[in-house]
Amino acid sequence: MNVASELTKEPALSFARVMSSAPLIIFVVLLIYLAIAAPNLLEPSTISLILKQSVPTVIVCLGLATVVVAGGDDVVSGGIDLSIPATAVLCAGVIADQLTNHGSSLFFALALAIAAALAMGIVNALLVVFIGMTPLLATLASSVAAVGITKVITSSRRINIDHPFIIYIRDGDIGGVPSAVLVAAVFVLIFCIAVHRTRWGMQLQAVGGSREAAEVSGIKASRLVAQSFMLAAIAGALASVFVLARGSGSTPGSEENLLLEMVLATFLGAAFSPRRIVTVWGAVLGAVLVSVLSVGFKSIGVDVFWTGCIKGSLILIVVASAAYTGKAQS
Amino acid sequence: MTLPVDYILEMQNISKAFPGVQALDKTDLRVRRGSIHGLVGENGAGKSTIIKVLAGVYTRDEGSVSIDGQAIDTITPIAVHDAGVRFIHQELHLVPHFTVAESVFMGQELQGMLGLASRRMQQRAETFLRESLNCDIKGKTLIRTLSPAEKKLVQIARALIDDQAKLVIFDEPTAPLASGETEQVFKAIRRLKERGISMIYVSHYLGEITELCDEVTVFRNGSTVAVMTDIDEHATDRIIHNMVGRDIDALYPAKTVSPGQPLFISSSLSDNKRFFDINLQANRGEVLGIAGLIGSGREELIDTLYGLSVPTQGSIALEGKTLRLNTPADAVANGIVLVPRDRRNDGLVLDMSVADNINLASLDEVAIARMEKRGAAQKRATRLSDQIDIRPRNAKAITRFLSGGNQQKVVLARWLATQSSVFILDEPTVGVDIGAKVEIYQLIQNLAANGAAVIVSSSDPQELLGLCHRVMVMYRGQVVADEQALNLNFDALLALSTAGVATAVTS
Amino acid sequence: MSESAPSTTFSGFGPKAIFVRYGFLIIIAAFFVFFSLYTDSFLNANNLLNIVEGSAILLILALGMTLIVAMGGIDLSIGIAMDFGAAFAIVAMKEYQIAWYVAVFIGIAGGSIVGLLNAFLVVKLKVSPFMATLGTFFIGSSVQRIFTNGGGPISYRRVAQEYRDLAVGDIAGIPTEVVIAFVVLVIYFLLLERSIFGKRMHAIGMQQSAASIAGIKVRNYLFFGFVFASATCAIGGLIGSANLRMFTPLAGYSYLLDAIAAVFIGASIHPRGRPNVPGTLIGVLFLGIVANGLNLMGLNFNTKDALSGIILVGALALAVMQKRLR
Repeated sequence: MNVASELTKEPALSFARVMSSAPLIIFVVLLIYLAIAAPNLLEPSTISLILKQSVPTVIVCLGLATVVVAGGDDVVSGGIDLSIPATAVLCAGVIADQLTNHGSSLFFALALAIAAALAMGIVNALLVVFIGMTPLLATLASSVAAVGITKVITSSRRINIDHPFIIYIRDGDIGGVPSAVLVAAVFVLIFCIAVHRTRWGMQLQAVGGSREAAEVSGIKASRLVAQSFMLAAIAGALASVFVLARGSGSTPGSEENLLLEMVLATFLGAAFSPRRIVTVWGAVLGAVLVSVLSVGFKSIGVDVFWTGCIKGSLILIVVASAAYTGKAQS
Repeated sequence: MTLPVDYILEMQNISKAFPGVQALDKTDLRVRRGSIHGLVGENGAGKSTIIKVLAGVYTRDEGSVSIDGQAIDTITPIAVHDAGVRFIHQELHLVPHFTVAESVFMGQELQGMLGLASRRMQQRAETFLRESLNCDIKGKTLIRTLSPAEKKLVQIARALIDDQAKLVIFDEPTAPLASGETEQVFKAIRRLKERGISMIYVSHYLGEITELCDEVTVFRNGSTVAVMTDIDEHATDRIIHNMVGRDIDALYPAKTVSPGQPLFISSSLSDNKRFFDINLQANRGEVLGIAGLIGSGREELIDTLYGLSVPTQGSIALEGKTLRLNTPADAVANGIVLVPRDRRNDGLVLDMSVADNINLASLDEVAIARMEKRGAAQKRATRLSDQIDIRPRNAKAITRFLSGGNQQKVVLARWLATQSSVFILDEPTVGVDIGAKVEIYQLIQNLAANGAAVIVSSSDPQELLGLCHRVMVMYRGQVVADEQALNLNFDALLALSTAGVATAVTS
Repeated sequence: MSESAPSTTFSGFGPKAIFVRYGFLIIIAAFFVFFSLYTDSFLNANNLLNIVEGSAILLILALGMTLIVAMGGIDLSIGIAMDFGAAFAIVAMKEYQIAWYVAVFIGIAGGSIVGLLNAFLVVKLKVSPFMATLGTFFIGSSVQRIFTNGGGPISYRRVAQEYRDLAVGDIAGIPTEVVIAFVVLVIYFLLLERSIFGKRMHAIGMQQSAASIAGIKVRNYLFFGFVFASATCAIGGLIGSANLRMFTPLAGYSYLLDAIAAVFIGASIHPRGRPNVPGTLIGVLFLGIVANGLNLMGLNFNTKDALSGIILVGALALAVMQKRLR
């Protein structure tokens, strides 16, 4: 008896099914177009560049996906953490300031960054779990505070970094694969297993699916939600290293772009999942695809100011088709 | 001297007071080992309070509790769970995108060497559902593709999968199910009884109580008024008598004499999915019933008649004039109004005051230059709520805190405030206690007497026969009968709904 | 003296009860007192007028936000609507020599485009307001960057004096922008808290399906709400551009979180936790007092940003806590 081959009873092919695949279809069409218009897109060096570019987004997506899995995918009442990019930029500021301005050791700088991230996680968890704010409002507010604190630390200036570790993350490779990509792959694996292959992860999913149901089943929902915010903050701290490597230092205001890519990639990822829900691996795939588009558009000479427009439209297409599918199902 | 009886649960002299209310007053509840024990009473009689005392949600003021012969002093949720007591709540508490296996093992996941033991959980869930609950579904099936009855069974499986259950409390397990689907749940419950599990069955559906239960405890006003041990299909009348403390001879008011002209007509109405070629005719002064199981297209037809969905074929006409109903607002503008089946989500804005809810559909009449005249609005709402006896008599009360019956009256009051001519009522008495039921039936009869066309859609055959002049029966999306209620009886109606033919099919 | 007697007599006035009832107002008062003591100039009449004047634009945007939140949504693109209002008006006057009073309407129409897009996405495509307005926000920001070649301001020094007076003039001694904000406030109060439209909007915000079944044209109201809110925000943009005599791309973004905060602070003061117009006014004034006070304390720009961010988190946390304890 082959249990694994038995498909779940999903509705057959229908217009709604096609609509729900609209984002995928659009992505595939765009990719084919880019591959034709910019033939070098498929060269190994470009692919490795794309993957490297995508690493910061991939890492913050790990955090956001975890929070959304624990809180449900309704962006207003469910789980969302808009502060992860701000946390990443805060941590980047801390590390850059320590390494360049204070001459601290790498270990101390990283420890300080992790501490800052944990503080952000605690604040978010307190605001959401203890005080009962909606995650959207709580994390929006905490991200403003984080950006403000970053400004104090960096005096709103760019800080260059030439620490060998950051340079290694930027330029190093192991057997031709960029070291940043390899390190990121390890984190992706850890998050995937934790959220989708462990008891803890199943309970996290249960809380996000129906908090009441989870609590009736004896799951400590509040604790899990708090943990998801802590993990998200840690993802922010991890991402900060790659943000620093990508930019060779900390740059004020880089959180805004990261925020857009994170939200886009994570919710786009839901379109890849058979159950149409936010998953960790879906978010990672989404992040890589978004990076492909960014690099692709740049290489065919599209003005950089247009990328916000294109990505914003993609977000809307993704959520509109998801909304349409939901409507067709109910 | 009688033999000592073996009780799985003994709750004696239980009292529980809330500020201003004695919810339980020296109440007893005893359940024989291996029996199904019915617990009935009107809303507010204390059923849910005693269940919550047993669950450890409320702490009792006095009284003793013993489970399986063991006295329990401090009841905590963990202590009763460890004693083998399981609760099947009215709400399903399932995650739509989880699989059956994931749902059954929610919060009690099995772990193997490498993380989750997914395969083992699937197999155990399938085996348990098949052997203990008589239900053959695959562990990988997604919850959202299951029927309501199958979902209920998954919920039951989750509570019982650890094989430690001795006493299971069912709270209105069939509330979301159509009458045809209840049988699947009943079979599962009987199977559990064969396996020696004792059960408490709480329900408003007295037919289910008499069909399933061995004994029945009746609560009234926080006290045990009767423990009935001779339960057969004729026990319903005695149970009602005990519940309300009097006979309800006239549960249903006298019907108005002569229905008038056709008012609201649908011709060949189809949505090409759930109902086909429906020719419905509602007359002035008449209560028209619509019978049918869930899935018969009854709900979808009601939605279409009210503009909640658009038909693919056919037309709807009011007084000979064809209507295009694209939204409920179109229906209301034409004097067609709906009392929806899901009162708390669709019927009322729960956090608004009673007055606001009553005036919501006719705000123009309490406004000057589009500004609300707040005094007039209040007065009008008070007059209407007095007229149909909404309690508490305070139009400023927040609607959320009213009882089910009073909430339903608020919905009715809203439509009484409009000058409407077609009243569509979908399951108007679900979750309403018997006293309020009688009043709502009277209101419906009055509407018809005043010349309105009333359409009542219900899954309760008794209610349709008692209330309606004419009953239209739907079966698999089609009308299989449209008869004067006088020409129908309970069995015929049930046969038509469940089999689509006038005589029950025997095989 | 019995020590226990007072506590039982005044049980309704225990710290918790007082906090639940007046928590936020006490905090506002505390900040007020603190700034009065700590700085010399806070309490003088001129400065208090400054606070009111400095809050005018935020109040206008926050009122637009109140309308959307009362209908159960959220609008992350109010800043874009404000920017568009300023851009359309300034460009109309600078490039096409259009009279200032026509430019005002062009500006409002320009802002309304943002609302139309939001309304289309939310009402027609059923996208959640958060996602829809987030998308609009990014598209709108990108459009501004494209249009200004990366975000340089468009300045028009020879703008008509009447237009300038929208920001710097006065009517009977009261600054025009305060008068405009007051008029918008009154309109919003009547619309949302007194008219039957407002009652229906609140019903939609509390329980959309029930409002729909009650015969309310939910889609029309949502459509109107998004367009009306963005038109309102465009007025804020007009005042901003009149003040600086230029269109500054992406200037509206800085108001977004303050507007959200003001609405939620306002909701926490309401007995049933609903967003409401008077509450939003109080929330805006609170934020104005904090911003003004921090300014007077002579802190450096970055420190001020950080402090106001932290105060914002604290204020919102308090507001929500107060609402929950009720």
